Amino acid sequence: MKPILFDHIDEPGLNTLDVYQRRGGYEMLRQALTMTPEDVLAQIMSSNIRGRGGAGFAMGRKISFLPHGDMVKYLVCNADESEPGTFKDRELMQKIPHALIEGIAIAAYAGGINKSFIYIRGEYQLQADILEAAIAEAANAGLIGERILDSDFTMSLVLHRGAGAYICGEETGLLDSLEGKRGNPRLKPPFPAIEGLYAGPTLINNVETLSTVPYIMRMGGDAYAKIGTETSTGTKLVSISGDVKRPGNYEIELGIPSREIIYGLAGGPHDGHRVKFWFPGGSSSPLLTGDDLDIPYDFDSMAKAGTMLGSGAIIIADERRRILDTMLKVAKFYAHESCGKCVPCREGTNWTHKMVQRIYTGEATPMDLDIMASVQEQIIGNCLCVLGDAMAMPIGSMVAKFRPELEAEIEAARERAEGAASEDVVALGVADEHAGPIPVH
Amino acid sequence: MPRPERKTIQLTIDGREVQAIEGAMLVDAAKQGDVEIPYFCYEPKLGQPVGACRMCLVEVEGIPKLQTSCSTPVKDGMVVHTQTERVRKAQNAVVEFLLVNHPLDCPVCDKGGECPLQDITFGWGLGRSRFIEPKRHFEKPLALSPLIAIDRERCILCYRCVRFSQEIAEDYQLIFTERGAHTFVGTHDGHPYVAPFSGNIIELCPVGALTSQPYRFRARPWDNESAGGVCTLCSSQCNVTFTVRDDRVVRVLSRQFDGNPNVDDGWLCDKGRFAYQAIHVDERITRPLVRDGGELREVSWERALEAAAGLGRHKGRVGTLVGGQASNEEGFLLQRLTREALDSSDIDSRGPNPLPADVARVLAAPELQASVPDIEFAHTVLVFGCDPRDDSPILDLRVRKGVRRNGVKLAIATARPTALEANATASLRYAPGGDAQFAAALERALDGATDVAEDIAALATLLRDGGEDVVILFGERIGAAAAATLQRIARRLGLAGRQGAGLLALPAGANGRGLREAGAVPDAGPGHSALDSPGRSAADIGAAAAAGDITALHLFGTDPVRDEPDRALWERALHSAALVVAHASVLTEGLAEHATVIFPAESHAEKEGTLVHPDGRLQRQRIAIAFPGEVRAGWWVLTEIAAACGLDTGVQRPSDAFAQLVAAVPFYEGLTLEEIGAHGVRWPERPQAQSLAPGAEGGLPEEVALDGASESEPAALTNGHLRLGTYRPIWASPECEISPALKFLIPEQQVELSPEDARRLGVLHGEEVLVAQNGTRLAAKAFVRSAVPAGSAFLADGLSVQSANVLTESLIEVIKP
Repeated sequence: MKPILFDHIDEPGLNTLDVYQRRGGYEMLRQALTMTPEDVLAQIMSSNIRGRGGAGFAMGRKISFLPHGDMVKYLVCNADESEPGTFKDRELMQKIPHALIEGIAIAAYAGGINKSFIYIRGEYQLQADILEAAIAEAANAGLIGERILDSDFTMSLVLHRGAGAYICGEETGLLDSLEGKRGNPRLKPPFPAIEGLYAGPTLINNVETLSTVPYIMRMGGDAYAKIGTETSTGTKLVSISGDVKRPGNYEIELGIPSREIIYGLAGGPHDGHRVKFWFPGGSSSPLLTGDDLDIPYDFDSMAKAGTMLGSGAIIIADERRRILDTMLKVAKFYAHESCGKCVPCREGTNWTHKMVQRIYTGEATPMDLDIMASVQEQIIGNCLCVLGDAMAMPIGSMVAKFRPELEAEIEAARERAEGAASEDVVALGVADEHAGPIPVH
Repeated sequence: MPRPERKTIQLTIDGREVQAIEGAMLVDAAKQGDVEIPYFCYEPKLGQPVGACRMCLVEVEGIPKLQTSCSTPVKDGMVVHTQTERVRKAQNAVVEFLLVNHPLDCPVCDKGGECPLQDITFGWGLGRSRFIEPKRHFEKPLALSPLIAIDRERCILCYRCVRFSQEIAEDYQLIFTERGAHTFVGTHDGHPYVAPFSGNIIELCPVGALTSQPYRFRARPWDNESAGGVCTLCSSQCNVTFTVRDDRVVRVLSRQFDGNPNVDDGWLCDKGRFAYQAIHVDERITRPLVRDGGELREVSWERALEAAAGLGRHKGRVGTLVGGQASNEEGFLLQRLTREALDSSDIDSRGPNPLPADVARVLAAPELQASVPDIEFAHTVLVFGCDPRDDSPILDLRVRKGVRRNGVKLAIATARPTALEANATASLRYAPGGDAQFAAALERALDGATDVAEDIAALATLLRDGGEDVVILFGERIGAAAAATLQRIARRLGLAGRQGAGLLALPAGANGRGLREAGAVPDAGPGHSALDSPGRSAADIGAAAAAGDITALHLFGTDPVRDEPDRALWERALHSAALVVAHASVLTEGLAEHATVIFPAESHAEKEGTLVHPDGRLQRQRIAIAFPGEVRAGWWVLTEIAAACGLDTGVQRPSDAFAQLVAAVPFYEGLTLEEIGAHGVRWPERPQAQSLAPGAEGGLPEEVALDGASESEPAALTNGHLRLGTYRPIWASPECEISPALKFLIPEQQVELSPEDARRLGVLHGEEVLVAQNGTRLAAKAFVRSAVPAGSAFLADGLSVQSANVLTESLIEVIKP
């Protein structure tokens, strides 16, 4: 497969307008502006590209949901990339920012949009600076702004930096944050396509999705759709991290076996070790184990396996990793990042985190695993946005798939705690009935 | 603006066929089918649902995930299940989650017994928790404000209070801080939440997190009784429920919480909510007082009535002032007493800058009357010469609602900037006292004159072309000429007879409209009837009393030293009068100094009678508690005085007075107390209202002479003089002064200045200055306000000290002490 986004990714200076244009940059915008918006949209539609941010919703359909008419419409690029394990957008923005800008301009043209924003996570200082410079270059060259390339099309582009909240990667939380409010997700419907930023119709797409748009235009939607599988077309950037020899970003054709990515591209686990479990699409995707390496890496196959492709962040753990540590990290992360708006997520993530901590301190019994599993069930599907599910699904899968290991951890921790407690009692020289582990029930 | 259409559709909930209004939220529609769906965060009064609590999840056929019924509009043919295993599990889950961090300290919680969280836990919870970890802890209780205590441990973060602050009151003070399970409600930088409508969040809170400081630990719900009533502390006349324990009012709530959409929309201001304390404080007058040897002493009723009977010896020389809280019946009896027994028509209830009878009559034309809900659905609302927040607070919320939810275009034309400036499409300023000139210019602009100021021309265009439904909300204090012009403007804009459009006049007194209709005005009898020999206005009564022409004053629920312009004149008038008979519950300065007899007056929780809302709605006041001390009913006292003065009123009970009133007012004809009922009746909507129709444009001379304070151009503002405007702040009332909880809100005099004038005078914001005029000086704090136009200055009226009514001229000087 010939890479699309990563074709020249390491070419020095690709982040500048000069080099980007030498590689054919902005040709597609020029061409798009000679076409009707409907024809541009038709190309995106026929490419069948699905959103690369996590939900995997077809981009063309999203644009087609925008109402027609004279109202102010918005495009918002979600560059909040905060799903643990995901760092693909970062590389795109750092190395080929003009592809994103061009993609935004083409998508905006297709959707009849005149105001665009990039919402970038606050931690991406370097990428924000690069993008800021690229936006200035593009504006100077008349590639964005008033009457782009002397056409009738006008589009402003504003870069906005977030302040460090995972929830602002959720599209409606992002919109609230962009509007200057507390970044909390909104109730849907209305969906952003109907009522989004400043209550106007809004198209929200991920960096990778938008960056792909010029290449779709270049090769034609139908040709792009031939790459990958029928329902997961095109190539995908995957961010591989954890216990592999060559972690990093790779561009793959959707539908290839996962083993090819993990072993072929990333070199597999370090010598003498094996894959114990892995997240196929960021920390919010349910776990897979070393037995699941032959599942094709595409949206539908992952869904069929009970997990999801998500943002394309593959995190590998070999057999030296304790499932309990991963569980604590995941629970702590989501409890910390829950916005607090809806009850099941706010209280469920907080409770789960406390239960996992109790396993460490030797205050848990195997019955707590049942409670933990039940709490995850009580969260799933009952929340305002998907953040609650994003914790409940992986934690639920950990309890289901690694119960014996967790039970052993519980037992070991109890023994440690009892030993420590009796030492305390001896040291104090008194028998304290409260010194033992806290009775659980 | 057309009201939303209401189409009825049918859906199935738990197998029952339910009729509901299309687009209604499922949770409301379910009630039509007697299906209860539990919820915490949903509150239609707060606008769009937020779907935060997840308590109302139900199964809708055809949708895979459970749906929040608070945010799901019903559609025809929808099939809903609320009792399935899946729904039950979700409900159990949410209750369990909610209690994870809830302290369950119900035995010591004020909300216990009337707590939605308790009720829903019992109804939809599993009854046990599997949570054994430590709960989150906050310091508690904390004072969110002097009026509200906050217990953050009990808070379930339902968003109601924050939404109220952000989207209803728009004071933007309450916010969520932190996130996840650490989220808590607070204000920026932790400053107290002080705002005119803050108390509503107590009522909105579905748990015991926000409690009323004055009510806290005073009662438990099962000790309490509830009594419906009407608040008469301002002209909004909100419908309230008095919470009564052992014959004492311990709390005031919006009536039935749903409120009356035609009056208050379910909200109360903090004055209405907390000034009930004035009913049960030592400062309240609860026994008759008679001046004896220079001092007021408590006496028997016999003795006090005997002293008041002295009014009969001043026949023809008695002046009567009626305070705005008097009921229609009291107003009616007072004018009978004055006119029939005391041979005088010197009775006034209208307040400063009163409207003469001919103007008042044409303004009352039924086809010109806008109702309160019209504000919400108008194309354009013009607020003219008033600030709803001070003059009728709950209408401030109604205007905000219209602008926010229905896109009402708001135009403001006032001398003093209002609290609504941020919501306005157009905001126009004129010099204090320039109401008539402004109205005249607007009329000329509507006539197509080209020599009017640009902003007035733009306002005329907005009113004429911005949609047919225009509501003009104005304060009666704009005076006769301006009001007469407004009436013509309304007709020119085609508002007469137009549903959803018209005029809405705010009187100075809470029941100003009712008192006028009852005839408690000098120049008209009951029902705006013409008089052969009109009496004198309040100002003239004062002057006559000071000159010795009037020798006795009858003050019903008012202290003219406080309430009328020209304090010095009234000091002299009261001093000169041989007999001053007052009815009062608070011993204000004029009465303390000068009253001969004071009868203890009823509070609004004790009174029986009727009122008329500014939009023409007759409302009933009912008795909630027994009279404290030796208080007796106002109507009874008046009949006794009348009898002593030789008039048998024939009134044995308040309903007799009401019957006499109805008989005397043609447009009330046939009204009964039963018809008025709990929600009131708007008389302009009854067919009998036509008896007041003036017949086209008739009934008023084409031009009403401009009032004395003729407007001169800013050129007159030489030598650093500023043009003075006055206003009565929402908190300036004797009831607030003696309510312990509200004392912190009693305004101190401040002079509002424009930044330009402040700079010119070298005055800083917050600095102590003197306001001077003709040798009179008044101490005030400088309040530099950017929306005040240069050349204008504003002072507060109705204060006990340093009140603006010590000044009588329209120009002032601000000097540094």
